[in-house]
Amino acid sequence: MQYFELTFLILFLPLVMLIYQLVGKKKRPFILLIASYIFIYTLSGKLLVYLLLATLCIHHFGIWLDANKKEEKEQIKDLDKEEKKQIKLKYLKQRKGILFLGILILMIMITLTKYMAFIGVNINHLLALFKINLKFKLSNLVAPIGISFYTFSAISYLVDVYRGKIKADNNLFKLALFLAFFPQIMEGPISRYEDTAENLYEGKKITYHNMCFGIQRICYGLLKKLVIADRLNTPVKLIFNGYDKYGGVILLLGAILYTIQLYMDFSGIIDIVIGTGEIFGIKLPENFRQPFFSKNISEFWSRWHITLGTWFKDYIFYPISLSKMSRKITNSLRKKIGNHFGPLVAGTIALGTVWLCNGLWHGAAYHYVFFGFYHFALILMANIFNPAINNFYEICHINPEQFFIKAIRIIKTTIFVIFGELFFRAQSLKIGLVMFKKIFTEFNISSLNWKTLNALKLFNYELIIIGITLLIVFIISIIKEKGINIREKIAKKPIYIRWMIYYALVLYVIIFGAYGGLYIPVEPMYADF
Amino acid sequence: MRNDLLEILENIKPGVDYENLNTLIDEHYLDSLSILSLVAELEDEFDIVIPTVEIIPANFNSVDNMLKLIEKLQEED
Repeated sequence: MQYFELTFLILFLPLVMLIYQLVGKKKRPFILLIASYIFIYTLSGKLLVYLLLATLCIHHFGIWLDANKKEEKEQIKDLDKEEKKQIKLKYLKQRKGILFLGILILMIMITLTKYMAFIGVNINHLLALFKINLKFKLSNLVAPIGISFYTFSAISYLVDVYRGKIKADNNLFKLALFLAFFPQIMEGPISRYEDTAENLYEGKKITYHNMCFGIQRICYGLLKKLVIADRLNTPVKLIFNGYDKYGGVILLLGAILYTIQLYMDFSGIIDIVIGTGEIFGIKLPENFRQPFFSKNISEFWSRWHITLGTWFKDYIFYPISLSKMSRKITNSLRKKIGNHFGPLVAGTIALGTVWLCNGLWHGAAYHYVFFGFYHFALILMANIFNPAINNFYEICHINPEQFFIKAIRIIKTTIFVIFGELFFRAQSLKIGLVMFKKIFTEFNISSLNWKTLNALKLFNYELIIIGITLLIVFIISIIKEKGINIREKIAKKPIYIRWMIYYALVLYVIIFGAYGGLYIPVEPMYADF
Repeated sequence: MRNDLLEILENIKPGVDYENLNTLIDEHYLDSLSILSLVAELEDEFDIVIPTVEIIPANFNSVDNMLKLIEKLQEED
């Protein structure tokens, strides 16, 4: 059962909504929790146990951290300043240990299921390098769906309790629902406890407004997913699986189509997820903000998979770049080489770590690691050359925000993203490099003809449907980019216009969605991460 | 305090309308590297320690919010 399947949309979700609405306010969170566990069980079976362990882990360690803080407070009462300092240091050390242990347990679970085989391969490479005749055969345990998402939410909860940003929650059920809420378990967004837990546990009544808005958002997600992403699945598969048969033009086309497909699939699913949350009156964090209007790669990553980016920023980038050692480096360099380049060393170490983790988070394979370092290199180059580029704009009296210049910057960023996605989708780093090379060495524009397109299952009507739907998404994106709340605008229109738009959207998805034997739905790409 | 903060910001990234903007982070006027410089400058200038937990867009989106953060940290000290 997946979010875009009829079993979910016309059976599971309406049934949960009905039971949720019928029971009292206090029982509603439990209905959501039971529904979540049933949903996860249908996907992962007994592997649900990992999620239960993660829940028990953060519940126990959160309380332990809070108890330690309370004990510290008791201990430092009536002490002088120096004694207080000593005691505080002692307790801080203890809390660091507790936090470390909690994160370690969560990391062990994710490592056993995602990274053991990759670790084994690398150990064997190292042993071979030192000519040691020993081989390890490590394999991954079967990974429960969504483990990367809920593990990150779990870690953020523990770190936030440790930092004193939130208080530990004694309510095991609230924590369980925070980690397991069924709409977001498969592909995120990665929520923070302080933003969603209370909201989840409120048990708000389903209102007409929330239901309409939620269903609209779900339909828009289905439009992206079923009409565009799934229609592009066959050509993308044919190109990436048969990369050796195609020249540079088709491989470039494959990379472009895959980028569109990934965006439409992932953001479409997120629309369904957020829409489902909206029905229950739960506001889940946005994960996309028109990423293809970004003028540089840093901006792209602040608009694409936003919750993952902010997670890395809050729990890896700033803790590393603002650690004692980094602060020392930054302070001494700032005095010597100025405010721009001063923080560059500490920033680069932190950035490198973030992108290594980002690559590995997506999967235990070298092409994902390469994908991470590719973006790291692009951001690093921008960090180094930004002052020079800004000076250039100033000397030449160019306004970088002027429409034409902005368009060039957006196109440049999009090209960089497309090449990154080529490595991301390629079956291995080696194949990715071969494909990349072919784009520049075997670029023959005449190979892009109707015969090839038809062989790739890109028939005329496919292209027209995809083109028109992309245009719809593009126009909606422009409106959103201008800060106009299109849904509120529609809600203010007369009832007959409103319902005409809703019906048109639903019919469009039903008529033009990619169903049947000709199409292979896209596997839930992000659910594997 | 306000003028000192404006001077620091102008040194880190000149030419931004700090007085009126309240989306300094959201609209990418200040990037991560600028934040690293800013944190170091603020800690020196106002004798505070800014914990990582306070490095959130809401605290750095406007001059007013930065001043509130500085005052809060000075009081806590």
